[in-house]
Amino acid sequence: MNGHVPFGVADYFWDEASSRQDLLDQLMETFRGSGYGDVIPPMFEFDSTLSAQYDDRLRSGMYRFLDRDGSTLSLRPEFTTPVARLVGARLHDWPMPQRFCYGGSVFRYLEPQAGRQREFWQVGGELFGAPKPAADAEILALTATAMKGAGLSAFRLIVGHIRYYRSLLDALKLDPQQMQQLQWALERKSEPLLDDFLRDTPLRTGQRQAVETLPQLVGENVDGILSLAERHIQNRGMHEALQNLRGIVDALGGYDIHDSVIIDLTEIRNLGYYTGVSFEAVTPGLGTAVASGGRYDDLVGRFGPPQPAVGVALGVDRLMVARQRQDGDDAQTGQHRLQPALALPQGSPDALAQVQRLRQAGLHIQVDVNGWPLDAAFAYAAETDLRDVLLWEDGFQHHRRDERGDFVLLGPLEESRLAGNTVLRREELST
Amino acid sequence: MNPTMTAAHRGQTDKVEQSLGATTDGQSEQSLLFALPKGRLAQDSLSFLERAGLSIPTDTESRKLILPAADGSVGFVMAKPRDVPTYVEHGAADIGICGLDVVRETERAIYEPLLLPFGHCRLSVAGPAEDAGVPPSACLDVADLVDRPTKSAHLPGRPLRYMSQPRIATEYPRLTRQFFAERGVNAEIITLGGSVELGPILGLADLIVDVVQTGTTLRMNGLVEVRTILESQAVLVVNRASYQLKAAEINRIIERMRLLTT
Repeated sequence: MNGHVPFGVADYFWDEASSRQDLLDQLMETFRGSGYGDVIPPMFEFDSTLSAQYDDRLRSGMYRFLDRDGSTLSLRPEFTTPVARLVGARLHDWPMPQRFCYGGSVFRYLEPQAGRQREFWQVGGELFGAPKPAADAEILALTATAMKGAGLSAFRLIVGHIRYYRSLLDALKLDPQQMQQLQWALERKSEPLLDDFLRDTPLRTGQRQAVETLPQLVGENVDGILSLAERHIQNRGMHEALQNLRGIVDALGGYDIHDSVIIDLTEIRNLGYYTGVSFEAVTPGLGTAVASGGRYDDLVGRFGPPQPAVGVALGVDRLMVARQRQDGDDAQTGQHRLQPALALPQGSPDALAQVQRLRQAGLHIQVDVNGWPLDAAFAYAAETDLRDVLLWEDGFQHHRRDERGDFVLLGPLEESRLAGNTVLRREELST
Repeated sequence: MNPTMTAAHRGQTDKVEQSLGATTDGQSEQSLLFALPKGRLAQDSLSFLERAGLSIPTDTESRKLILPAADGSVGFVMAKPRDVPTYVEHGAADIGICGLDVVRETERAIYEPLLLPFGHCRLSVAGPAEDAGVPPSACLDVADLVDRPTKSAHLPGRPLRYMSQPRIATEYPRLTRQFFAERGVNAEIITLGGSVELGPILGLADLIVDVVQTGTTLRMNGLVEVRTILESQAVLVVNRASYQLKAAEINRIIERMRLLTT
């Protein structure tokens, strides 16, 4: 037996574990604050259920295995499909809209990258039964709030609308090869490939102009871009997509995140099951999106009566990396490390009763179970970065490590002196 | 997350900030980090940047890992050509130059707005010319096989799908596999780190897939080109997040370069 773990998974412990858990809780709390109720879907389900979403990349990256009765199961690669299943199959007769939030591990058999192993954490929210732009705006605004709450200030939300592109494709009536060529060019934002497409593909003037204009439909000037796009509408679908996008942008007005929005009508990568608005959140120092979401009005209907839906998932691991890179070791992001005091009960039942009382008061206290003398306790405390040692002498005597690393007797324990123990920051302790 | 990776990344960021005095608010004022390929494309890349009117590092021989541009506006990192798309995908660099062959082989999620007018070459399948000396070790194999696969390489016009299971030495395993798979050939790919033209000589492989500029190296080793997989040239690549977050600077660079490419 060796101690190896499979490629793509990792142990998290001490500060890293607690700060991940804290971030997850904090993000969940953002959604709960807007009326999103917790949902805990299964870790694995029937492969056919989880494959109901149409993202090929996601599907090819699923961990599949056989149940003992021979049915194919998969580890969840995301939460949206399980939650859509729940709403479609079981909660379809409950009043709409319904709001759900979740947090936990998802699994993808993909190359590990910065801030993403094959098992990684997602937090997200899904809003069902609300087709109007106000619902999309709520999800976008929640994403921004969650990012700010996570301590990220310089993020941008890159907002696109898959319907604009799909409707354009309808209008162009391309064969599959031409479609592939256009998609390649747009995915890569490659001017030469787009030129090749325009050279190889016979198009009417208006259609040609619509394609030629695509690269300009990217940027911070939301109004200007939407107006430009409106001049190249080829059919009803493109018109409706832009109307919808304008509605969403207008609805964002009340949320104070206008400055964070970038429009990109050519972002068509990884759009899987989206049917309307789609977006990604990016932040300096991390080359990949830390959150992505959008509208998926077709998914719930695969499990029950159709329902419009919009949602977002944030990558906890990537947010951690992004925050680290943004702030370095800035105190603002230093998570609270629990520094439980070490109590030496000296075999006294009274001591243990007192410890229980202190714990009920919210203090974190570990009890010596080795019958250590004070020296041994000091040595352990010094090596493990503990500051407070409590020795029972008919009441706890409080010893505290000073700046030089020596333990000093402060006298009988006063609870207030320990009160900070659960919230003290590491930096404060180490100085 | 792998702690050593994180530490390395952090170290890198620190260096950038020291050498560039980057602002810490993470907004668009932040300087760009530009990844350039070492080796074949290095000099062409630098002179192209210069012709585009962009400030380049004064001292490229320096041992410093990150070189500031003469006017301090941009930092440059000289990377192995293969690593440029990786740096850019992960955001370790915002923007970079490398060969299209490398971009297609590594298939990273990056933007590639412009092809640049240098570094032209092609990725080709090559095999032994008819008169190439066959080493004794390979001759033993020939005796066992009625129709040795390499024979088809002797006929550049002959469809590759007639080869049963060619062994192919290459530095481009992904493109090679894809090229042969599309023709229904189940090729055995032997991935090498360089000098792939040795493959057929040593009897390690039947064919090679490699970058060809003038064809001199192939001829010297008794090889002829059989097919072209990809016409390659230098390409500008951009990180997807930086493209949006640092749009102003990156668009400025693209504009300048576009003037030289069209």
